[in-house]
Formats: sequence, structure tokens, C-alpha cells
Amino acid sequence: MLSFVQILIGGLLQGCVFGLLAVGFSLIYRVAAAVNLAQGAFCIIGALITSTCEQNLGLPVAVSCLLGVMGTGLLATVLGQTVFVPGLGRLPTSAMFILTVGILTLLQGGALVVWGSQAYTLISFSGERPIAVLGLRIPPQGLWMIGVAAFIAGALAFLLMRTRVGRAFRACAENPMAANLMGIGVRRMQLLSFVLAAVIGATGGIVIGPTTSFQFDTGGMYTIFGFISAVIGGIGSPLGAIVGGLCLGIATQLAAAYVSSLFANALALALLLAVLLWRPSGLFSSGAARREDVREETRIHRAVVRLGLRRGGIMAAIGAVLILGVIPWTLGSSGLMSSIIITGILFIAVLGLDLLMGFAGQVNLGQAGFMAIGGYTASILVVRYHLPPLLGTLAGIGLSLVCALLLAAGALRLRGLYLAIATLAFGLLVDSLSVGLDGLTGGPSGLVGIPSFSVAGFVFDTPLKNYYLVAGILCVVLAALTAGIRGGFGRALLAVRADPLAAAALGIPVRRYKIAAFCISAALGSLAGSLYGFYFHFLSPEMVGAPVSLQMLAMLLIGGEGTLVGPLCGVAVLTLLPTLFQPLALYKTAGSGLLLILFSLYLPSGIYGTLVAWLTRDRSPRSPLVAIERSAQ
Amino acid sequence: MTPALQVRNMSKTFGGVQAIADVSFAVAPGTVTALIGPNGAGKTTLFNLITNLQPATGGTVELFGQPIGALTAEAIAGLGLIRAFQTARVFPGMTVVENVAVGAHRLMQTPGWRQMLATPGARREERAIRERAELLLDIAGLFDMRNRAATELPMGAQKLLEVIRALMAAPKLLLLDEPAAGLNDTETAELSAMLSAIRDRGITLLVVEHNMSLVMGLADQIVVLDAGRTVAIGPPAEIRRNRAVIEAYVGREDA
Repeated sequence: MLSFVQILIGGLLQGCVFGLLAVGFSLIYRVAAAVNLAQGAFCIIGALITSTCEQNLGLPVAVSCLLGVMGTGLLATVLGQTVFVPGLGRLPTSAMFILTVGILTLLQGGALVVWGSQAYTLISFSGERPIAVLGLRIPPQGLWMIGVAAFIAGALAFLLMRTRVGRAFRACAENPMAANLMGIGVRRMQLLSFVLAAVIGATGGIVIGPTTSFQFDTGGMYTIFGFISAVIGGIGSPLGAIVGGLCLGIATQLAAAYVSSLFANALALALLLAVLLWRPSGLFSSGAARREDVREETRIHRAVVRLGLRRGGIMAAIGAVLILGVIPWTLGSSGLMSSIIITGILFIAVLGLDLLMGFAGQVNLGQAGFMAIGGYTASILVVRYHLPPLLGTLAGIGLSLVCALLLAAGALRLRGLYLAIATLAFGLLVDSLSVGLDGLTGGPSGLVGIPSFSVAGFVFDTPLKNYYLVAGILCVVLAALTAGIRGGFGRALLAVRADPLAAAALGIPVRRYKIAAFCISAALGSLAGSLYGFYFHFLSPEMVGAPVSLQMLAMLLIGGEGTLVGPLCGVAVLTLLPTLFQPLALYKTAGSGLLLILFSLYLPSGIYGTLVAWLTRDRSPRSPLVAIERSAQ
Repeated sequence: MTPALQVRNMSKTFGGVQAIADVSFAVAPGTVTALIGPNGAGKTTLFNLITNLQPATGGTVELFGQPIGALTAEAIAGLGLIRAFQTARVFPGMTVVENVAVGAHRLMQTPGWRQMLATPGARREERAIRERAELLLDIAGLFDMRNRAATELPMGAQKLLEVIRALMAAPKLLLLDEPAAGLNDTETAELSAMLSAIRDRGITLLVVEHNMSLVMGLADQIVVLDAGRTVAIGPPAEIRRNRAVIEAYVGREDA
């Protein structure tokens, strides 16, 4: 019994931090109707700055903490002013998601450059000796955590409910245009909420710092748990955020204590999926849901990227010559070949993502989950049960389709935000299962001894053979998708993306098309995962983990979504550049974050889209006849 | 003869507000029925109830004798009831010709996987749809714009585009919500000619419209709504003389 209470307290303490993060999510969501996935990174930045002040500059703990919070606030002000607030003005909700993924990646990459990849910790605020209360041992830092969480929650509630700023915040959430007309500086309020949330996050990170170790990429985990807490509690509600955080903290601690620490995350995510499917608006729904509905109606304005038949044919011919002849001839034996094959395999998965996001308009933050399912299913069947690789791959695709259908049955009813979190949770669930089921998957150290891919006795055992395998699959998949996209299938998908209501009014079965896109996307992800395993003869959770989902998102956006071939540019840039210029490898994460931000803000149609727009720009002056006709009208 | 559309005792409440109260009327096949009434009379709401974009509180709708109240918006469109929206809802991110071609979706025979394999049947069908879309664009005078983004078109052209898109779906009953709003006099005259041409090809029309000269010239039957109730139903000549209508609608507009 005592140990149960002790675990409960541990959960409570953890929950306080999740709650603080969730409050930040709710605050920004209320004011700007956007989800800021960079939230967790501010936590870690705050803690890292504090650590530097303590360890390297030898400053007292209190001063270090203050500097940590202020430094993070300053950084958030700069990022808010240059990235977040400008983005709010011109991007639809789903693109804001991706923009904040860019901020998260940039911050993590920046932290990697500044602080390196080693783990840090902080000095306890008031000693290490546990305080005994009624026979329970509570670390003093725990009291700090509870105290700080309670103070911030109270102060925020006061700010929102009782002050002019709070009223302005709520006005911005309800109707930004009207708020602007009433003389409220909406952009200033948005910036303020962004900075305030970052400062709250940094405070949380600094308070939890002494009880844990953290490194440059721990922020991603904090983002996820904070976001999940906010969604469980009902996003937009500060009270719900705290309650959601506590629920999640206690659930993960109980799971870790009574089941296995390896499954703690999996159970937390299963909890989230359950809450999402049964009560999508969370335990405490807030008035902000109405706003989300309004936003959903705003049309997306997207460039039309069409190369035209003739130019498309020329491009395809050049591509075919390059892929089948020039590349294997010139690079066949170089070290670059491996990177090119990886590019090709990732491109298969990103193609699926493009169909789903670029055409059907469904955000998927868990594509790597399908890669993991495909990769592990195929590898395990081949390694342990000696099935032929082709059968293993097909079995992986089958299992992925089953998972996709199950997820789609629930998740595609959810819109925008909730679909994104459901897919994110799915990816993490698969991720933690592939670590947790170590008897089957080899756990964190990975699965070894996977043979090469082979069909009917022909073994793809050299890089060149693998190259032709991947290139061949890509050509078939691309040809099929291009044909489908040019016809009624693609038109229906685009219509569903652009305006589901108007699409339904034309008799297009909206749900069926979304599910079809989701299944094709999952199958391609799965295929890519299997090929990954067969090519490397090795598969570890890192290769197909949740961060890979976000990387593929960046590749898609940078290449140009909704164009099928475009994402190849993005995959190539992010895979080949770090290989070609080894010194760049350290800057890879920061660079991809920066690229993601720049492209979302300034070149939303990506490298390929921009190129096509330039190629097809209107060069011919209007024919005189047309001009006369116009003026006559 | 079975009416193309039979609306019986339709009603809708939003909270305590009675938006539509016990509205009944029938539309004969091959005719034009105009739905008129002052702003806020419930015309667009009635359209949404008929196409099931909003659930009705009470009442039934029959399309050519078949009850459609329980069907989804997609299934209703599948039966040949197609609507255009009040503010044109062209699909952004698609070209003009794609916007028209997508209208033919409910008529397509080849499933998606056969399109992906580019089977001869799928290609033949695709070519036929393109040709029909381009023909309609030519008739509407939008052919030169066919490869532009649809959202680049001026508002009037977008409304026209939406009507053509609806025609691509081979409607049996076409619902138009204020097709003349925002059009100038020449464009309105062209629209009027186009609508009567559509009617002459056997397509039944139900039109919400404010432009009285268009309505009086085109409609075979007029249904007048005010505050969610039917004030009068009858041919234009009769409506013009109806005292209740003049009080509810014309009088107010003149004031």
C-alpha cells in the first residue's frame, strides 16, 4: 500500500511537469488556435542555459534559474516575432503544425551544435535529503515542482479571467478579426502568448532538471507528453491541462511500476488513443472548439502545380535516363551509392505521405510507424521463421493495412488537430513497442542478421542490384500513382482536400477516399520499411522511430507536397547533403529545421513547385484577338 | 406524374429559433421553381435540409418519389440531386478544367486501381470526361482559362464554373443558390439564357434568387418564404398580384 502511494506521488510530480507543458499548449491554442509543437524544446533550452550558468560560469542556483528563464524568453521572442506570428497570418492550421515542427527541429539542432549530445543535469534547489511526510519520502525538489506548478496555474487562471490581457486573449481566440477591429493588437497578443508559454515551459524544465537527465533532443519527448496531456484534459482549458498532466503522469508511473518500464510509454499512448476516440474534445472541453470549427471552414489557397503533358514527358524521359543509366554508371561503385539507395527507399515512404497529405490533405505525423511495422514484420518472419523475403514483405504490408484501417476507422472521423495527434500517438506506440518487445525485435539494440532481399532465387546482394531493385519499384509506384492522380482518383482526392462539403455535394464518398489514401500511404511506408531492413541487414528502433516521421515531413515540405516527384528533391537534399559534406552532419538537424521554416513561410510549394511555377510562367503576351474580345465585353 | 421534388412539412429549429416552419411544396419535372423571400427567410437553410447538409427537425423530402431524408449528402448527389453554393465553392489547388471534370465523378465507371494501371477502359473514360469538360467550358466562354488555377477567375466566372461543374454531374434536379448575385446585367442575361437552355434539356431547376426580373422571366412556379414559412406558392403572374407577398417581400425591399 505504502509503495502504491509512493508511486502515486512519483506520478503526481511527473504530472506537474506535464501539466505545466500542457498549460503552455492550451495558452497558445486559446490565443492563436494553433498547436506549438516546439513547446518541449523551450523546456530543454531553459534547463540547458541554467546548466551552463551553474557549471561553466559558477553562478548561484537562483541566478542561473533566472537567467535560464530569461534567456529562453528572449529566444522565444525572437522566434515568435520572426517565425510563429508571421506564420499565423498566412498559413492554414495544418501548415502551422509543420512550421512548429520546424521550430522544434531548429531548436534541437541548435542545442546539438551548442551543447553537444551529452546528457546534463541540474543542481537541486534545496538539497537532496528527502523529506518524510506521514512515513512517505518526498524529495525536496518534488515540493518545488508541486509549488511552482500550483503557482503558475493559479497565476495564469488569474491572468486569463481577471485582467485586461486575459480578456484580450480570449477575444483573440473567439474572433481575431473582430478583436483587431476593437483595437486589440492581435499579433502582439499572439506573440505574448507564445513567449509566455515558452517561459512557462522553461520554468517547468528547470524545476524538473535536478531530478532527471536531459540532452539536446529530450525536448521532443516533452512536447509529446505535454501535448498528450493537453489533449486528454481538453485543449484550450488551463484547468484541463493540469488535470490531464496529472492523469498522464500517474498512469505512466503506475504502468512503469506494475507492468514494465519498457511499456510505460506504450500504455500512456494507448490511453491517449482511447480518450481521443471516445471523447475527442478531452475531459474538460473548452469554448475554443467552436473556433476550431470556424477555422476548418477557411479555404486553403494553394498554388496549382501542373507541368503539362509535354514537359512532364520530357522530365520523365530525362529522369529515366538518369536513374537507369547515368547514376549507376558513374556512381555505381562509389560510397555515395549507399546514400542514393537510402534516398530511394525513403522516397517510397514519402510518396505515400505525399498522397495522404499533399492530395488528401490529411496530416500524418506517424508515417515511420508503418515503416517499423513493415520492417519488423518482414525481418522477423524471414530471420526467425525463414519465410522468403517477398512473403515477409507482403505480410508486413498486410499487417500495416490492418493497422491503417483500424486507425482510420477511428481517426479519420477526427479532424485536423486530432487526426495529427492520433497519428503521432500511433507512431510513438509502434516505436515503444519495437523497443519494448525485445524478445521479438531485439529491443533498443536492434535486430541483426537480416538477409538480402531475394525473389525466386535471385539475391539482391550488391549495392548495384539493390539500386536497381529500389529504382524499379519506384518507377512502378510512380507510374501508377501518376496515372491515378491524373484521373478521377486524383481529382476526387484534391476536391476532398480543398472542400469536403462541396465534394460530398457532388457525390464523392469523402470518407472512402480518405481511407483509400491512408491505406496506400501505409502500404508504401511498410514497403519502404521492409526494404530498409533487407538492405542494411539490420533494423533498430532508431532507424524507423518517431523522429523519422518528422524528418520525412520536412522532406515532403521542402521538396513540394502534392506533386509526387517533388518530394524526391527534399529527400535528396536532406539525405545526400550531409553525406557529401561530412562536416555538415553536425548541422543536419538544425539545417533541416531551418529549411522547413523557410520553406513553410516563403516557398510553400517547395523546390519542385517553385521550379515548375518558373518553367510554366506566362511568358507569351496576350494575343491581340483575345485582348479585343476582352475589351468588348 | 411524380414530382421531381416533394417537400412535406419541413421544419428546422436552431435552439429556440424556428428557422423553417412546416414548409411544403412540389417541383414538377422539367420546370423551373424559384424560391424567393427576404434575407433571413430560410432559403439557404431549406436547401441545406433538402440536400441533408444539415439534419431537419421534422418533415420528409422525396426525389422522384424516393424518400431521401435518411441518405447522406453523397448518396443524395448520387441520385442526381446536385447543388451549387451561394458563394461559389470552386476547389482551390485545382485548375479550371479539373474543377469541371471532377463534377463527373459520380458517373465514373472505372475504379481507382484501374485508373492507376491505366487500362484502356480507364483512359477512354478519362478522355471522354476531358472532352465533355472542355466542351462545356467552351460554351461558357471559359475555354481559354482552362489550365489556370480556378481561384484566379473573377467571382462571376467562378459562379459560372460551379454551374458547369454541376452540369458535368448530369443532374436530374439542379439546386442553385443565388446564381445571379454579384453578376452585372449582361452576365445576368447570359445566365438567364443558360438556365432556360438547361431547363429545355429536361433538367429540373430549383433556384434561390433575389433578382426579380430574372425570377419572373424564368420561373414556372414561385415559392415565397418569409420567416421560415411559405407565404405563397404559384405562377409568377399570380405571385405578382399576391398582397401577402407584396407586404412581406416586395414592399419591404422597396422601402
